[in-house]
Amino acid sequence: MPDVDGVTGHAAAVGSSGIPAARALRRWVRRARRAHHSGSLGDVLSDAYTILLLVALYGWGGVTGIRRYLKSPESQTAQPEVRYWIAVAAALATAGLVWYGLRTLGPLLVTPAGQAWLFSAPVDRRALLAPRFAALVGGTGAGGGLLGLGAAAAVGPDQAATLVWSAVAGAVGGAGGAGLAVLAQAAGREPRWSRLLGRGLIVAAAAIALVVVTAGVCPPSQGWCRGIALPEPLGPLTAGPALAAGLAAVAVTVLAGRALGRVDRAALTAGVDLAHAATAAAFLLDPSMLTAQVESRRWRAVGRVRSGSLGADRPARYAGVARRFLMLVRAELRRRGRDRAGLALAAALLLVMYAIAVALPEIEGSAHIVLTYLVANRLASGLRAIARSPGLRRALGGRDAVLHAAHLVVPALGAVGWYAAALPVVRPWGWLDAVLLLGLVVAVLRTATRRPIQHGGPVADTPFGMIPVDLIRQVTQGPDLVAGLVVLELVLG
Amino acid sequence: MRDLTRRFGNLVVLDHVTFSVAAGQIAVVAGPNGSGKTTLLRCVVGADRPDEGEVLIDGRRSDETSPAQRAGVAAALDDIDFFPDLSVIEHLELMAYAHGAEAGRVAEVVAELGLDRVRDQLPATLSSGQRRRLALASCLVRPRRLLILDEPEQRLDDAGRQWLADRLLREKASGTAVVMASHNAELTAAVADEVINLDA
Repeated sequence: MPDVDGVTGHAAAVGSSGIPAARALRRWVRRARRAHHSGSLGDVLSDAYTILLLVALYGWGGVTGIRRYLKSPESQTAQPEVRYWIAVAAALATAGLVWYGLRTLGPLLVTPAGQAWLFSAPVDRRALLAPRFAALVGGTGAGGGLLGLGAAAAVGPDQAATLVWSAVAGAVGGAGGAGLAVLAQAAGREPRWSRLLGRGLIVAAAAIALVVVTAGVCPPSQGWCRGIALPEPLGPLTAGPALAAGLAAVAVTVLAGRALGRVDRAALTAGVDLAHAATAAAFLLDPSMLTAQVESRRWRAVGRVRSGSLGADRPARYAGVARRFLMLVRAELRRRGRDRAGLALAAALLLVMYAIAVALPEIEGSAHIVLTYLVANRLASGLRAIARSPGLRRALGGRDAVLHAAHLVVPALGAVGWYAAALPVVRPWGWLDAVLLLGLVVAVLRTATRRPIQHGGPVADTPFGMIPVDLIRQVTQGPDLVAGLVVLELVLG
Repeated sequence: MRDLTRRFGNLVVLDHVTFSVAAGQIAVVAGPNGSGKTTLLRCVVGADRPDEGEVLIDGRRSDETSPAQRAGVAAALDDIDFFPDLSVIEHLELMAYAHGAEAGRVAEVVAELGLDRVRDQLPATLSSGQRRRLALASCLVRPRRLLILDEPEQRLDDAGRQWLADRLLREKASGTAVVMASHNAELTAAVADEVINLDA
C-alpha cells in the first residue's frame, strides 16, 4: 500500500494548499493498484501484440479481398462513377455514425469510481484528463490512418504518394474528429454546430446515395430522370489537401487540449454505462448487453408517452385465447409505433439496399436477405423481452408458444413489407421469395428466443482464440439460418 | 437554487424548484419515490445539468469544473462506486490526499464509522451497509463547506442511524451546510432546519 506521506513528500508535486498535482495523484493511484496486481508488463505487451497481429491479419485479408474483387470480371457490371459516389456516401455515413458514437460516449470517459474518488478532488482537471486525451487522439489518429491506408491500398492506384497521403488524411480525420468531439463535450450542453455536423454528414450521405440510386435505376438516356449524370470521380488525394486538413486538425486538437479543464463531471460520466455495456458485449460476444442499454437510453430520452386503451374495455368480438392474442399484438404495435428511430432505420436500410443494387448488383440478392433480417430483428425487441424474462412470461400468463407467436406478428409483417419494398430492384416476385421470407421469420424467432449465453462448458480453439462452444452456438442461432438462406438464394435466385 | 427544472424527454422531473441553504443549516429534500430527489442532488453536485434555472454557491453560479467549488462540496450520492482493487483504507487515504487533508484524519473517521475491522478489505467483500459507511466516510476525511447526501440513512442499522443524526448535528455546528434527501421522518425531525417537499 502506498504511503500517503511518501507521495505527498514530492514537494514539487504538491501546491501550498496541500492539493497534489495531477501527475502525483495519478502516480499514487497507479502504485496502490499495482500493489494488488500480479500482471506484468510482458502480459500487457503480449496482449497488445495479439491485437496488432489480428488487426494486421484481418486488415490485410480485407484489403486483398476487395482488390481481388474489384479486378474480377463480375465486379465490372456497375459504372465506376456509381461505385465511387456510393463509396463517398458510405464514407460520409460512417463518419456521421462515428461522430454520434463519439458524442454519445463522451468521448472522454471517467469510471464512476474515478469520478467519485479522483475527479471530485480540486486537482487541475486539465492535467488529470491530459493522458486520456492524448490516448484518445493518438488512438483515433492511428485508427484513421490505418483505415485511410487500407482504403487506398484496396482501391488503388498503387502509388506510394497516394498511400501516404491517404494514411495522413485518415489520421488527420481521426485525430481531428476526436478533437472536435472533445470541444463539443467541453461546451456542456450539445452545441448547435455539433448537432449540425452529425446530421449534416448523414443527410449528405443520404442525398448522394439518393442521386446515385436515381441515376442508376433510371439511366440518363431515358425516362423522367433524363439528364441526371454523375460527376466524374475526383483524382487521388494529393499533398495539398492532406496537409491543409492536417493543419486544421492540429489547430482543433490544440483548442481541445486547452478546453479539457472545462469538461465537467456530467459530461465525463454521461457515456460510461454505454461504454461498459459495449465492452462487455464485445468481450462476451453477447450484443444483447449493448442493445438493452441502448434501448433503455432511447426510452429514457422519450420520457413520457400518451397512454391509450388497448381495447380491454371495448365489447369483445373474440373471446379467450384469440382476444388475448389480439391484445398482445395491439400492445406490441403500440410499442413499435413509439420507436421512430426503428422506422428511420428501416427507411435508411431501404436506401442502402437500392444503393447496393446499383453499385454492387452481384451481391444484391444476399444483401436483400441480410437487410430484411436486420429490419425484422429490430422489430423483435418485444419478442426478445418476452423470451428473456421468465418473470414477464409468468406475469402475462398463458402458454409460451402463444406469447411468442403474438410477439412475432409485428416482426413478420415488417419483414414482409420491407422485403416487398426492396424486391423490385432484385427480381420479380416468385415462389423462392415466399420460402426466403418464411425462413427469415424463423431466423428472427430463433435469434430472439435464444437462451442466455452460458460461458462455462467446453471451449473451441478458433482464429479469435479459445471460445466456449455454447457461446458460439448461441451467437450463431438465427444468423446460421440467414447464412443458409443466402446460399439458397445464390443457388436458386 | 433558483427555478431549477429538469426534464427527461417530455417528462418534467423537477419543475422550477427554488430554495436556499445557509452555512450551518440542514435542508432535507423529501418526497415520494420518483419525485426527483436524487436528480435534484445530482444537479447540485454537477453530476447532472438542469434544463432551466441555476444552482448558486456563495452567490456564484455553480461550476463543477472549478477546483475551488470541488474543494468545498462533498457528496455521497447513490451511484458512488469504488476501485475494485483498492482497500477501504486506501480509498480513504486517496480521498484525503487528493483533497490535501491531513492523513491522520483518516484514522479518526475509520474509527468513528466502525470501519476498523474492514480497513484492509476490498469493496467487493463489503456488505451494502459497510459500503454506505465507506461512502459517508469519503465525505468526512476531506474539508467541506457543503455536504450533499442522498438518503444517507439507507442500509444503516439503528446504531448507524443514531450516529448519523449526531454527526449531522456536529456538521451543522461546525458551519457546514447540508443538503440531503431522506425518507426517514425521525432523522428529518431531528436534524432539519428546512424541509423541501417535492411532490411526484
